[in-house]
Amino acid sequence: MEYVIETLSLTKTFSDWWGRNKVYAVDDLNLRIHSNEVFGLLGPNGSGKTTTIKLLLGLLRPTKGRALVFGGDSTDPKINARIGFLPEESYLYRYLTARETLNFYGRLFGLPSRVRKDRIEALLDMVGLRAVANRQVGTFSKGMARRIGLAQALINDPDLLILDEPTNGLDPIGTRQIKDLIITLAKRGKTILLSSHLLADVEDVCDRIAILYGGKVQVEGKVKDLLEQTGKKQITAAKLSDSALRKIETVLEAEHADYVVDTPLDKLETFFIRTVADAQQQSLLTSGAVSTTAIGDFLSAGTEKKSEQAVVLENLVSGSEAVTAPAKTLTSKPVLAETSSNHNVDKKLLVSLTSEDEPGLNKPQDAPKTTPVKPVDQNPDESVLDQLTDRDNNNSKGDDKKSSDKDGDF
Amino acid sequence: MEIFRMKSIWAIASNTVKQSLRMKIAVVFIILLVVLLPVLGLVTSGDGTIKGRLQTFISYSLSLTSLLICLLTIVVSIYSVTSDLDTCQIHTVVTKPVRRFQVLLGKLLGVVLLGCFLLLFAAVLIFFVTIYIPKSMGADESGLIRLKNEFFTARAGLAPTPVDVSDQVAQEMRNLQQKGQISPEMLSDKQTLQRIINEITLAKEQATRSAAPGQELIWQFKNVKIKSADSNPTFFVRFKYDVPVTRPDMEIYSRWAVGDDRQIKYGTPVKTRIAQFDRKDKIRSFYEIEVPAEVIADDGYLAVGFLNIANLNSSSVIFPREDGIEVLYKADDFVPNYIRSVFLIFFRMVFLACLGIFASTFLSMPVAVLLCLLVYVAGSASGFIMESFETLGENVGLLYSYTIKPIVSLLPQFDKYNPSQYLIDGRLLSWPFLAKAVLLIVCIKAVILLLIGILIFNRRELAKITV
Repeated sequence: MEYVIETLSLTKTFSDWWGRNKVYAVDDLNLRIHSNEVFGLLGPNGSGKTTTIKLLLGLLRPTKGRALVFGGDSTDPKINARIGFLPEESYLYRYLTARETLNFYGRLFGLPSRVRKDRIEALLDMVGLRAVANRQVGTFSKGMARRIGLAQALINDPDLLILDEPTNGLDPIGTRQIKDLIITLAKRGKTILLSSHLLADVEDVCDRIAILYGGKVQVEGKVKDLLEQTGKKQITAAKLSDSALRKIETVLEAEHADYVVDTPLDKLETFFIRTVADAQQQSLLTSGAVSTTAIGDFLSAGTEKKSEQAVVLENLVSGSEAVTAPAKTLTSKPVLAETSSNHNVDKKLLVSLTSEDEPGLNKPQDAPKTTPVKPVDQNPDESVLDQLTDRDNNNSKGDDKKSSDKDGDF
Repeated sequence: MEIFRMKSIWAIASNTVKQSLRMKIAVVFIILLVVLLPVLGLVTSGDGTIKGRLQTFISYSLSLTSLLICLLTIVVSIYSVTSDLDTCQIHTVVTKPVRRFQVLLGKLLGVVLLGCFLLLFAAVLIFFVTIYIPKSMGADESGLIRLKNEFFTARAGLAPTPVDVSDQVAQEMRNLQQKGQISPEMLSDKQTLQRIINEITLAKEQATRSAAPGQELIWQFKNVKIKSADSNPTFFVRFKYDVPVTRPDMEIYSRWAVGDDRQIKYGTPVKTRIAQFDRKDKIRSFYEIEVPAEVIADDGYLAVGFLNIANLNSSSVIFPREDGIEVLYKADDFVPNYIRSVFLIFFRMVFLACLGIFASTFLSMPVAVLLCLLVYVAGSASGFIMESFETLGENVGLLYSYTIKPIVSLLPQFDKYNPSQYLIDGRLLSWPFLAKAVLLIVCIKAVILLLIGILIFNRRELAKITV
């Protein structure tokens, strides 16, 4: 199958009862999303992002054209068993508890009860709602509901994840976690379609984007290609002495180049996470979600487990064990190796910030600069993540994809 | 694959039950049932007799249970679908490997399960209160036996063999012609002729049901077969008097004879006994005469004679056409009959659940509820409605047969399949009757509605465009 998602002249119009005021919600859309790609659908409010997703999922019928998912109709149970969907609002049953919610969706997938149980616990850990798992979802804040919404989208270990405004209503920490999760899932061979109007979200995680306006694609391409300022170069260095700076200026002047010497600003996101981490270190209580960054291990089996695929289910459900078991491979590597070093600092912060262990016990050790960071190898959750990411780093994407393709089809 | 399907249907069903309980929709109905049924048992008095109290209680309590469960079914079935649509929860359900019809079937199953549970609870409660009432009122031995024969039983009813009056009508016509009261012009006009014949037939037919003072009436019954485990089986002659002049407190003195009258006519010695009863009964009420089964002839023939005693009565007596006279005999026990009655309510509930699901696939909650209530009320008076449309329809012809008639015939006949009327008189609600109810109400009407609902639900867009 060439594309995971393919739309052919997909068009959706609507008009009033008398057939007047025809409006094009989606207009002649031709999207092609490859396997293992993180694709961002960008656009202002009302540009047709959500309508496109609804058309892809068969919730709306196209006026013209076709929407193919895995080469077929997404309403076919064989196909939608491989899809995870997070709608723009977390449409959840208010009267169900978090655990019951996940159980309900697990049952819709026909998962055996043991698998379901293990996955639910792993997902609750992952989205940091284990402590409130028995509370009715109706009492959740928007961010918490969003987390449960995300968990339900992952319960079937989907090959394709469709996320409509995934960070909608989340605080910066939650937003960051979701972004990290997307990156991690992509590394495990998932295909992800993401719609958002928050540019930073898309920029951080997407391989390719399409900007929609008025239901039409205005621009489409790789993020890097679209954003690269080809006429400029940037040098980032650690603190330079005045003399070194003067030398560089001399060289640049000799080249007749326009240049700016500046001290780079921290990203507000990084700053915010650091501030909250400080607060948490002082053991301030919160009634909100306390998230870990542990990712349910059942979500795509890594290649390490490829040899054990005869026992697919056991592989899939090993997540909850991994969360509580002491890590075998301890490493202080940055959480996500491919991101910038600055990003890695955030990552560690995030890990320390969202761990369920008592934050007050953390000692700033091995932390870059003045940022207090919990020692990575003391937190089992981090270890799990490290273990996972380490494993992923050692394995090629292609291998991941193969294994997840097999595992996802249960 | 089949198990897979059932699993998701069960998931949706249990979610629907949880929804109705946790959103407190069912709570009101449950409380009402739990509180009202025992209260009814305490406060009903009927006509003061134990039987009257039992009749009132069983009739009121079953009607109340049926009403509450039907209303609950309507509300829950509609709410479970429309709330999913309104709050978009359906988006996360139908994007899972679940077909849309499975979603509807799951909802239906959930609603039916909830109603079933409540119905079972109410039925058991009503049963025990009913059993308890005679004891609480201190019924004596003979009273208990009477109740056993007339209430805690399941009796089949037999109508008398209809009397053929066509010969009498022909004779009367000849008489009238001879007297010159019917002219040849009247005979040549078909409509007039038919009207005359109808009137004479009616008069002659009524004559077979009425007795002036001193006159007697005889009804014949065929195939009276009583299967009973009792050593002294009995059956009942049930009757109701009417009189041409209204005097509500009027009482009729009568002599009844029940047995094989053929042996008297032909002068042979009496082989089977003929039972005789002298009575005094009020008009316009039902009475029952208990008769030993030995009076029935071997071939199942039975005659019932009534004499309007001349010296004591001043008015002629009419037996109403529908229910003037009837022979009742025990055909089954109370418990199985009661269980079948509960099944009738269950079928009613299943129909309404299907109707609710059907309506909610294309209507908003308030409109769907209104529609279902309308059907429920119309169904409860379907006999009347059908009859009136039938009369109206005679003049409209084709237009009626192709428009209103199919719609009216789709109405569930709740009044015809009403369990109270059977239990009150300890009448048999037979298995064939029950099977007919299932076939008509559930297998045909409910399934048709459900299929149309599924069709609509499959076709419609479940999301709205928001641009």
